[in-house]
Amino acid sequence: MTLAEDNGPERGGDDLFAAEYVLGVLATDERQIAARRIDTEAGFARLVDSWEVHFSPMAAAYPEIEPPASLKPAVDRRLFASSSTATQPSAGLWSSLGFWRGLAAAAVAALAIYVAVPYLNPPVVAPQERLVASLAADGSDVKYLVVYDAARRDVGLSLVSGERAAGKDFELWMIEGKNAPVSMGVIPAGQTTHLAVTPAVQQKLAQGAVLAVSVEPTGGSPTGQPTGPVVAAGDLKGI
Amino acid sequence: MAPQDISKLIVRTSMKDRAAFDLLYRQTSAKLFGVCLRVLNDRGDAEEALQEVFVKIWTKADRFAVSDLSPISWLVAIARNHAIDRIRARRVPAAHIDAALDVADPAPGPEAMVVAGGESERIYHCLDELEKDRAAAVRGAYLNGESYAELAERHRVPLNTMRTWLRRSLLKLRECLER
Repeated sequence: MTLAEDNGPERGGDDLFAAEYVLGVLATDERQIAARRIDTEAGFARLVDSWEVHFSPMAAAYPEIEPPASLKPAVDRRLFASSSTATQPSAGLWSSLGFWRGLAAAAVAALAIYVAVPYLNPPVVAPQERLVASLAADGSDVKYLVVYDAARRDVGLSLVSGERAAGKDFELWMIEGKNAPVSMGVIPAGQTTHLAVTPAVQQKLAQGAVLAVSVEPTGGSPTGQPTGPVVAAGDLKGI
Repeated sequence: MAPQDISKLIVRTSMKDRAAFDLLYRQTSAKLFGVCLRVLNDRGDAEEALQEVFVKIWTKADRFAVSDLSPISWLVAIARNHAIDRIRARRVPAAHIDAALDVADPAPGPEAMVVAGGESERIYHCLDELEKDRAAAVRGAYLNGESYAELAERHRVPLNTMRTWLRRSLLKLRECLER
């Protein structure tokens, strides 16, 4: 008899199960069930999050203890081993075939960029910083993280949650001051996508501009202005 | 470092910005190591766990956007849950309890923690409404990551009694927190 079973159907059972998970009292198999549900059920994930919020003040009791200096390089090795530019390359790294292959590939890529850049990249007027926005709205589960890279005229979008209905598209809009929204294009489907920024939009896209996502017929708004509900919005901030 | 600065570092980390990740590590690794050590009660194990925690932070930073937690609490939750998963997989219930008890309470008393202010008063106020040993069980479970089996052993009650106790405590807490 797991807790999930004897709690599941009864009212409030999920909430209690979430609390037990956050508190940490569950056995391994029960924790695995909870973890899976956090990944797959937004409602359950919210219950867990709200218990984490309730209990979090108790974490003030955890002392700060400096970990050994060797630990961060070990983390970097786990994450970035293949493309490592570690500050202290070890003998292992210098003698690693993968490293030299990587270096050779990097050199070729650098040469390609060196050759191509004058053609691809006309001088940028002002090298602005990168801006980010977190787009969300009440009553909608659509959330996007947006990074605007001015130098590359690129908007990167990461879909955090939500999805478009069949026959619908998400369209990204820029709203600057009191002007009418300007379309930045239909957001391609997928978790991580990019939109190129037109020079006209680029001139107005700056800190404080608001980005919004509306639901439109497939292919985008037929009128050039948002026709469907705005499901997520947020303002651009410097980082 | 102000919470909004940690937030920015997490958002930049979600964009795979390594400089931001390095800074995030510098600002928060001591706290997260404290969490791992307290739960795992073994230095080598805690070091291993902390590495895994930062790997998770790198790969899951985008989820921060959907959480209501403050940035440091969000990081602590990742570390705590990871350390608990790890100890649950490892711990032989009876063997570690005495050892765990020995280090169990370097924690400041509730009064000291209440000084931390506002929101935090609420959970302490609600814990105070529970019977003393039940509040202690909740706090012990949270800070040390003790399982039902371990709590039952420590409080010398049958497992099912412990479970009933704790669930009733959680229901009371919920009722108080929502008041």
